[in-house]
Amino acid sequence: MSNVTTTPEIVTIDNLRTITRTRSLGYGISLIVLGAIEVLWFGSTPSSIHTQIQLAYNSATSVPELSSWLRVLVLVLGVLVLPLAFGPSVFSPLPRLPRAARIVAAIVGVLFVAWPISLWLGINQDGQIRDFLVSVSVTGYLFGAISAVVGAIVVWRRFDRLASPLLYAGIVLFILAFLIWVARITPIDNLPLPLTGILWGAIQWSPFLALGALAGTMSERSGVVNIAIEGQFIAGALVSTLVASAMNGTGISLWLALLLAGSIGMVFSWVLALMANRYRANQIIVGILLVSFATAVSQFISDAVLDVHQNLNQTLTLPTWNVPVLSRIPVVGPVLFAQNIIVYITIGMAVFTNVLLFRTRWGLRTRSVGEKPIASETVGINVFRMRYAATILGGFLAGLGGAALTLGKDTQFAFGMSNNFGYVALAIMIFGRWRPYGALVASLLFGFTASLGAQVSIWSGQTHIPGAFIDALPYAVTILVVSGLVGRIRPPAADGLPFVRR
Amino acid sequence: MKLELRGITKSFGSLVANKDISLVVEPGQIHCLLGENGAGKSTLMNVLYGLLTPDSGQILIDDKPITIRDPKDAVAHGIGMVHQHFMLIPVFNVLENIILGSEDVRPWPFIDREAARTRIEQIANEYNFQIDPDAIIENLPIGTQQRVEILKALSHNAKILILDEPTAVLTPQETDALIEILKTLKEQGTSIIFITHKLREVLAIADVITVIRLGEVVGSTTPDEVNEEELASMMVGREVDLVVDKTPATPGDVVLSVSDLYVEDDRGLTAVKGVSFDVRRGEILAIAGVQGNGQTELVEALTGMRPVVSGKVSLNGDNLAGRSVRHILDAGVAHVPEDRQVHGLIPGMSIADNLVLDQIHSPKFGGIFGRKIKAIRENAEVRRKEFDIRSPGIDTAVGELSGGNQQKVVMARELSRELKVLICAQPTRGLDVGSIEFMHKQIVANRDAGAAVIIVSSELDEVIALGDRVAVLYDGRVQDIVPPTTSREEFGLLMAGARSTEATGVTP
Ligand SMILES: Nc1ncnc2c1ncn2[C@@H]1O[C@H](COP(=O)(O)OP(=O)(O)OP(=O)(O)O)[C@@H](O)[C@H]1O
Ligand SMILES: [Mg+2]
Repeated sequence: MSNVTTTPEIVTIDNLRTITRTRSLGYGISLIVLGAIEVLWFGSTPSSIHTQIQLAYNSATSVPELSSWLRVLVLVLGVLVLPLAFGPSVFSPLPRLPRAARIVAAIVGVLFVAWPISLWLGINQDGQIRDFLVSVSVTGYLFGAISAVVGAIVVWRRFDRLASPLLYAGIVLFILAFLIWVARITPIDNLPLPLTGILWGAIQWSPFLALGALAGTMSERSGVVNIAIEGQFIAGALVSTLVASAMNGTGISLWLALLLAGSIGMVFSWVLALMANRYRANQIIVGILLVSFATAVSQFISDAVLDVHQNLNQTLTLPTWNVPVLSRIPVVGPVLFAQNIIVYITIGMAVFTNVLLFRTRWGLRTRSVGEKPIASETVGINVFRMRYAATILGGFLAGLGGAALTLGKDTQFAFGMSNNFGYVALAIMIFGRWRPYGALVASLLFGFTASLGAQVSIWSGQTHIPGAFIDALPYAVTILVVSGLVGRIRPPAADGLPFVRR
Repeated sequence: MKLELRGITKSFGSLVANKDISLVVEPGQIHCLLGENGAGKSTLMNVLYGLLTPDSGQILIDDKPITIRDPKDAVAHGIGMVHQHFMLIPVFNVLENIILGSEDVRPWPFIDREAARTRIEQIANEYNFQIDPDAIIENLPIGTQQRVEILKALSHNAKILILDEPTAVLTPQETDALIEILKTLKEQGTSIIFITHKLREVLAIADVITVIRLGEVVGSTTPDEVNEEELASMMVGREVDLVVDKTPATPGDVVLSVSDLYVEDDRGLTAVKGVSFDVRRGEILAIAGVQGNGQTELVEALTGMRPVVSGKVSLNGDNLAGRSVRHILDAGVAHVPEDRQVHGLIPGMSIADNLVLDQIHSPKFGGIFGRKIKAIRENAEVRRKEFDIRSPGIDTAVGELSGGNQQKVVMARELSRELKVLICAQPTRGLDVGSIEFMHKQIVANRDAGAAVIIVSSELDEVIALGDRVAVLYDGRVQDIVPPTTSREEFGLLMAGARSTEATGVTP
């Protein structure tokens, strides 16, 4: 073959593939540059300088010891579970499990293997997780080398599918290296770096963002753009706090609060669906109006009711659930498996929406209506009914997301607390490619970046980095990563388009 | 079942698309509807299927009046329809598209995919339609999509089956297979309404033929009473010349030269494998072949819509390979794309705007302050008359035109510039005989005015009628370039992959 031609100049669906290839080039080079900075900047620190890494999530976390034979038992269990994650490809008699089960097997297996090993390595001291020291320069060299090598591979093999997640990982590594550098022990001070605390912070962010993104996924899959998620957050947060406080936070009141928060979300979505379906209104405008409405009402109630009757705005929280066994694993146990119930509800909802959308008849019809409603109609599907149902069901999730902001985070209601997270949830929905598990993973990633950013901003005095810049970090990273997926991210074709019967 | 339509009237604004139409389809009858583009055939069928509400009129099944408010009612009454513009979800796979709306659930509410797969394989075998149930619709060639659409309709076991131009994108073999299927269904008592512009098909399968013109029934007949010419004039209301009337070509210099071209398809497989040919000014090179042998990718590569992997495309010596679509169009290449609904038109925009899409950046129709509305409108009025685009006016959205008239808009736009090369993929898809005659004349006129013309068509008749030379494409390669006088059998063999026996030295 001769005369290989240059890349075409304009973007059509057909030549996007070529363009993503060049994208992997840019992403790979960015990784190499990040790696180089890590080596040159952090790596140049004198090798005697260390940073103290704090693994305990907080000083009160005690870690149960395991007797020697229990350690062996756990290790054996882990070794037995792990191959299930791979299935017959490593050992043919193994069953081929569904993907979700394989992921669970992988997580449990790795944790069970790591648990006794970490104990043997002496992670636990007098019932407390020990802090440990890392060398700043070694971290710089190590992270830099990983980043540069991965970057080189991305460029060399033209990994267009992996380029964007890998760049994300590279940025996270960079921020970590940076934090380790900031926290280095100097003669005047020693700030331990709370690694586990950062992870914990990430999980604090996830539930409401994920629930909001799931809500968006549901309604946009049916072809209705729900930009009112912000409003549903506000309403859900307000209603859940009011209801729970009015009943003084008794057990049943919290569950009732969740239910009613979801219901108020459904009311908002019903209005949206009505305007979108019957009156064919512009869905964006309706959404914005709903947000304004929620904001105004919440301010009024906040001033006129909550400020006067403070007992109607109590700081309440849903119970914490310790997952048996798993919550006892050092470090990750208390962070991942001893969480507010809302975390498990969120995961459950992601599984639920995924099954609903991709396994059931209802889901197939809903998605068809979001892609090409006229085609759905010709096979006897009631387009409007599907759109109402999906939007309103999504509304429940968005309302629940509001409750996650209060009852899920141990906070009372405050005007403005949703802080535009409803719109962030929409970005997460896109980042998750309109898929429930995608939304879950994307919300965790965003949460993690936000949590890292929060740590940086706590230390912004030491770093001389403007606070506003740091606050923008999670958004900037999200935009960067989302834009890297352009071409493969494709919204439902009829998203936001009113259906007109002829 | 017996179906009767009584006095159906349907108008869109001032345009009366159906005027008091009455029609009876007996059980086990194949009833062909014939009519010009825009005559109102699809409208009538959409009324029957519940997609449109008639202004007046009545529908009776087995002599009992029924009401059809939406397609759900139609389906419930045993009516199935293959739509002229596919009703398939592009991002779903074949299986999902076929079961949509009639999914088996076991256990409730989960879709029983295995049962669906078995059901589809069974129907596909029964009717001898090979199809991969897991293929995503948008990756399939248009002919295969049509098969999916037909399978979908068949899978519903309709008692009354409407087929709106199902053969427009099928190969002759596929059409023959479909005709066999329809005959079987007819024997089982299914009533069939069949719409087509291909008169040969009509004469082959119709029991009754009803001709519609300008929204009104103008007559009804049977295949025994008429021949193709008579049918054609019944439809159009004048004599139609069914053979292309053209003088022998007087080829000049080579205008477009393609050498050793390699192109990949959407899946990254090589679809065009080292194609070379030259086209001279004043000649028509027809590219024949069964759909899916690289025609789509070849045309898209020539017009810049698809990257060229390697090889040369030169227009009067200038390289075109890998250049942008804009560059290629401005260099004097006109392109009538294969799928007008995806590439040729913007359905929501007016006829006038669609007619200048490719020239809106030129000073003639556009400027820094936007469009030159007056020039655009004048242009539209001229083209509408010239190409006989049937519509209420030039401001009508193209999406509201009948299928054939949409095709005319594309042709009108592409033929209205200074051309060096004209590339037409399936130029007369969905056109009625009168319009085909007109289009063929236009293409020949362009040739005689000095354009180098490439016609890609899966219609052998069209290839033979138009081509001065015929290149047969098979598995991404040019099998041979032969004169149009080659026998049909010979063409059949070439298209099936055999090498030419009579090595005709027509390759320049
Ligand atoms: N939704 C619509 N709105 C306005 N006008 C329409 C609409 N649908 C069809 N028409 C008009 O009604 C007339 C009949 O169209 P129809 O699609 O029934 O023609 P047809 O006989 O199927 O033609 P073809 O052979 O080209 O498919 C055309 O003039 C068309 O422009
Ligand atoms: Mg039609």
